[in-house]
Amino acid sequence: MSTPVLQADAQLQSILDRLVSMSERDHYDPYTMFDWPDSLPEDQYWMTPELLSIHGTKVAESFTEEQKWAISKWESVNFYSLNVDGIRELITEIIARIHTKDFALSSEYFHHMIGEENAHMWFFARFCLLYGGKVYPDKGVQLEMKSEGESAHFLVFARLLLFEEVVDFFNKRMGDDDRLHPTIRKINAIHHQDESRHVAFGRQIVSHLHRQLREKLSTEELAELELYLKRYLRKSVDGLVNPAAFKDAGIANPYQVRNEVLADPAFHELERKMLKRSMSFLVNEGIFTDDVLPRS
Amino acid sequence: MSGATEHKPAGFDAVVRYLLTKRPELTSIDPDLDLVENRILDSLGFVNFLYVLEEQTGEEILMEHVTPSDFRTINSIRKRFFHESE
Repeated sequence: MSTPVLQADAQLQSILDRLVSMSERDHYDPYTMFDWPDSLPEDQYWMTPELLSIHGTKVAESFTEEQKWAISKWESVNFYSLNVDGIRELITEIIARIHTKDFALSSEYFHHMIGEENAHMWFFARFCLLYGGKVYPDKGVQLEMKSEGESAHFLVFARLLLFEEVVDFFNKRMGDDDRLHPTIRKINAIHHQDESRHVAFGRQIVSHLHRQLREKLSTEELAELELYLKRYLRKSVDGLVNPAAFKDAGIANPYQVRNEVLADPAFHELERKMLKRSMSFLVNEGIFTDDVLPRS
Repeated sequence: MSGATEHKPAGFDAVVRYLLTKRPELTSIDPDLDLVENRILDSLGFVNFLYVLEEQTGEEILMEHVTPSDFRTINSIRKRFFHESE
């Protein structure tokens, strides 16, 4: 009989118990938690200006303040749309594992996580629909056969962790930014509060699964996992620069602007800041051998 | 592996040139080569490729109107998005 992927471990069990208690303590009703004004003012930033993809780039020098406000509106709709897509994947993957033999240890915590993520998906989608009239569609396609086994479990939880950490970089800052509308601040602050627990769990399980894989996989196989995750990070970062958002903001040449932003050193500085915490974790855990990402 | 980039519109050439950057050791791509099996195109690189395709065709691609097989070879991309026969 094979052993479960997530094996009984006193430290992991204690962390899971603590996270369940914190989830119960912080529980809230998302459907009554927020004020949803009919509209938000268009003559101000909807995202922290320094977090806009165009911030500090050469191409941004030609934009007026009004154009930057519009970009901030549509990049925020893009950011929350990416949250909706990422959460849909997260919930799907967690539901596929809850109460299976491999993940019996974490099933109680998974129930809380699914409930919280469902709430997040609801308020992010509501924001997009109410103030943007749409959720930007997920442009991804699964082209290869999906892999299975322990490497696949590791990659799923690593992807979910990295998604949550990238998003949390934005949530933490926008939740504290008093230049933003109170509704915008609140959805970011609430998400940051919940994600702190999810990131703590994610780091535990990712470290745990990678330690197990290191005993079984060759150096080449581990390097393949590293490359996959680095390319996943590249895709996640590039996804923050959406030509549809530039188009909705009234920018005439949205694809050219995207290409220029992706090539601009200022965007790579933002990328470095948003990934700093994740990179330190991945390198310190021996999951990455360096902190260099492949190009777009 | 020749002829894939000859006598085609500029936009189509740009798409092929983009795909070639994913495998720098290649100088051309056989129009019937399976791009996924040959690791020229995969799920992680797909969205950036899609934007190149949108930029070169001048049209937003709606995901409900396409299938993975539309992106499988140079020929299928040309037929589906540049409305050309082989």
